[in-house]
Amino acid sequence: MQNKVESNSQLQERAGYFPVSGAHLYTVLHEVIDPVARVLLVGPFASERHNSYLPWVRWARDLAGKNIEVLRYDYRGIGESTGAFEQMTFEDWSQDVRLLSNWFQSRAPHVPLVLHGLGLGAVLAGRAFDEGVGEGLLLWSPPANANQALRATLMRWVGLEQIFKFGDDRRSASDYIRELEQGSPLEVDGYLWSVKLWHDSFHFTLPAALANEEVAAQAYKKRPVRIVKLTRDAAPLTKGGIVGFDDLKDFSWLFSPNREWIVEVASQSSKEIAHA
Amino acid sequence: MHEAIGKRELIVLDGLGECLRGTYHPVADSSSELPASRGGRDRLGVLFVNSLSLPRAASGDSAVHWADSIAELGYPAFRIDLPGLGDSAGEASTDLLDLVNAGAFASVASVAVRQLVDRFGLTGMVIFGHCAGSVSALYASVASPECKGLILLDTYFHLPQASRPRVRQELSDWARRSRIGRFLSNGYDRARNLRLRLRGRALPGNANTQLLACWKQVATAGLPILLLQAPGIKAQGSKPRVGEFDYIDHVMKLAGRKNRVSVEFVESADHSFANREGRLAVQSHIAAWLVSHFPLTDFSLSAKGTASFHANEGQSGSRKSQMAPADGCCALEGR
Repeated sequence: MQNKVESNSQLQERAGYFPVSGAHLYTVLHEVIDPVARVLLVGPFASERHNSYLPWVRWARDLAGKNIEVLRYDYRGIGESTGAFEQMTFEDWSQDVRLLSNWFQSRAPHVPLVLHGLGLGAVLAGRAFDEGVGEGLLLWSPPANANQALRATLMRWVGLEQIFKFGDDRRSASDYIRELEQGSPLEVDGYLWSVKLWHDSFHFTLPAALANEEVAAQAYKKRPVRIVKLTRDAAPLTKGGIVGFDDLKDFSWLFSPNREWIVEVASQSSKEIAHA
Repeated sequence: MHEAIGKRELIVLDGLGECLRGTYHPVADSSSELPASRGGRDRLGVLFVNSLSLPRAASGDSAVHWADSIAELGYPAFRIDLPGLGDSAGEASTDLLDLVNAGAFASVASVAVRQLVDRFGLTGMVIFGHCAGSVSALYASVASPECKGLILLDTYFHLPQASRPRVRQELSDWARRSRIGRFLSNGYDRARNLRLRLRGRALPGNANTQLLACWKQVATAGLPILLLQAPGIKAQGSKPRVGEFDYIDHVMKLAGRKNRVSVEFVESADHSFANREGRLAVQSHIAAWLVSHFPLTDFSLSAKGTASFHANEGQSGSRKSQMAPADGCCALEGR
């Protein structure tokens, strides 16, 4: 039972546990020999992870197939990572991004690092980038703050809950939000959202400089930012979609232009490093 | 990066030419709090397979919790991603549901079972599956001589559509929302019930006869099987929705007199079994079933394992029923 090298001889996926304070992060490194760039994938939140897992993995493989090394991981307390979800804070998840970025960049400091976030992951990646991490930033459907990401997750869950309920038994998203705001934790798709998580989410915002690409270009100068608002076609990476069907679709229409952008950022960044 | 931490170890298997990835939950050494070096040789293991395209952690990471609790009881647990799913290599296609329903993962799952049994020195394996995963588990049990039991959550024995027509979906949603809709929906159920009665005991046209044949083979052979059912859409307690064929009743008749099938209705769960109450109820049922059918001779339950098992007994929110629900519609439509 040996780790099989996959079809492309350059592709090797290495799964492991990365130690952080009080927990271990599950990571998968899509290792590439002599990469042109590195991309840290900061995925969607909690149950959204499960819905979008297959396209997310395929995106990592797509990049690795084009000589871009990728590191993807599970948030602390979610999926294969350890830790108690209900005790986690946005600061813990921000720290995960910083620690992994440092480790990833230390593998070869001369190779440009691009952060890529989706949903809540876009807020986390955006904040790390704003602190100076990475040479480029790619955001897919970034919410203005974490609360918007939580609401999107809640809406999807309520939609599923309502399938089993009729008439007066059906509760709306506002009913659940009211509960949270009145101080009761809420279990969403198996994850217990604490009242603190809900309250903190309003203040955990995307940096103002990432409001749009023009503002970002002025703020970050030579560190490019690309912001893509995903449409329904991209489900389940965005809201909607059926697990076991939409997550198996062909996403090359989404992957290709974004991959090309990453290659361009890497090329530009490498030239600047060489020039310097 | 580490490949193993306290209670988990990452594993790689050869899945008929594809690299399968998974997580191993070793049995804790009851005397030292450390995992046993080989995690419980000479005992039975429990293998979790994917539910359709969900990764091996499953909804709400429920499979992680169950695997941890099973290992605490003294049975090593394994969660793997089948080819093209989760972190495993391979490509899954949009007809995944049809492939699952035709038993396409049986061979690779049985190969994985054999490797795990050999590698960890196990006496055999119980295969665990939820929804579409239970279909794969059932097919795999026929293909795998090492399979000693099955844990099946919300198994369906019909051939569902991966995606319902949009109009029908919206009509169903309207029926759930409005009083008139509910009235019409009940009328529709009664009409279906009349048709069901006229059909007598005949199977519905979309029954998965291949899967039912597998069921008959393993159930009549006396393979221990734990069937757990969550309340279905418009189900009446443990009975199916009016007008729906009672598959559980049917498969219990197919199982014959020597069967070792246990059916439990988990009232507190939803179809995902990810909600905490449902998850704990499942954990409790699994613990009782494993200890009853596969008692451990050389392992005393760790204090923690015993405590969690007893703590869950009183709050399972479930009741035993030999005529448990047949959610023919399955919540596949909601996922």
